[in-house]
Amino acid sequence: MTRVVRARMAIAVLALVGALVSLYLTFYKLGWVGSLACGPGGGCAVVQSSPYAVFLGVPVPLWGLLGYLALLGLALYGLRPGGLARPAVGWLLLGWAALAAMFTAYLSYLEAFVIRAWCRWCLVSAGLVVAIAWAAWMGRPRERQR
Amino acid sequence: MAAPTTPPEQPTRSWTPFYVLLGVIALLGLGLIAAQLVRHRARPATEPVPGLQGPAAAEAEGLGIAMGRPDAPVVLYEFADFQCPGCAAWAAFMTPVIKERLVDTGRLRYVYFDFPLVSIHRHAFLAARAGRCAHEQGRFWPYHDVLYGRQREWADERDPTDRFVEYARLVGLDAGGFERCLRSDRYAAEVTRSLRFGESLGVDRTPTIFLNGRKLTDLPTYSQLEALVREASGGRSPADTGAAARR
Repeated sequence: MTRVVRARMAIAVLALVGALVSLYLTFYKLGWVGSLACGPGGGCAVVQSSPYAVFLGVPVPLWGLLGYLALLGLALYGLRPGGLARPAVGWLLLGWAALAAMFTAYLSYLEAFVIRAWCRWCLVSAGLVVAIAWAAWMGRPRERQR
Repeated sequence: MAAPTTPPEQPTRSWTPFYVLLGVIALLGLGLIAAQLVRHRARPATEPVPGLQGPAAAEAEGLGIAMGRPDAPVVLYEFADFQCPGCAAWAAFMTPVIKERLVDTGRLRYVYFDFPLVSIHRHAFLAARAGRCAHEQGRFWPYHDVLYGRQREWADERDPTDRFVEYARLVGLDAGGFERCLRSDRYAAEVTRSLRFGESLGVDRTPTIFLNGRKLTDLPTYSQLEALVREASGGRSPADTGAAARR
């Protein structure tokens, strides 16, 4: 198993977990699960009820869900012979993961310094994004050895 | 077209374990989310709280701020924190409907208990005291509405005391008396006792709702709450209890 294949398998698994976490948070934001309460574990209520929980008119968890699904699809395509043969897939994965990491850094900054509350599921998502970015870096296209 | 940088995988390689792993993770995750959805849609489960039965309930009344008939068949206790966004949502969307349909019709007595989460909300204790200072002048509920309605305005301030005095003026309180109350240590003991009382009942988050001494494990929607009130009052319809209230 090559380095690229291992990295893309890891990205697929992590992105799937991230998509599930985002789906849960989307339902939370819509009020379909959980309860809007303050206290232990209630940081999600504070974060999700803040004005920063919506980005460009769309709930932030829904952006996360779309981002993770794109990563999952790209990683799975990248594991097929056609995808493995295209260096562009590796660069796309790395670029997408970098974008996700930057957006996550912005959201974490808001949680720490603006909203001043931490949502544990958002932290899980942040950890997943960091791991995906690391895997994408490890699986980036490199020059073939002559 | 760019030359391939990575040789394709050997065709003999089996991808089955990998796809099985993805399938298991997806099924497990979706199952857990579905369980949460079902739990949320179900009628809230209730837990009996011995501390709120019998004479303890009467003692609790002394700590709380009530509205509604003292002999209403059902009593609701809310443990809340003025700086909690969840409580603000409850105050905006639930309390007015509960008041209009259940309290004003004599079906429910509503008792508010302070439960300031001081470890995460730095102004919660002061806000709770402000509420009690308004209560001293008989205007707790209008003040309660303003504190929650303008929560975003004062929650991030360094010192919201002046803002609280301004709200007092807004709801028609004697601002001087209110300010003297707020700038003293008046009601600090009462708020603390209310907090300790909640802790003794296992309250650890806000808002927490008790109905006739039973703790609701999840926040109900209005229709769920109305069904629970109907059940607790022996299935009497609003018309029956409303008529009783008017007699």
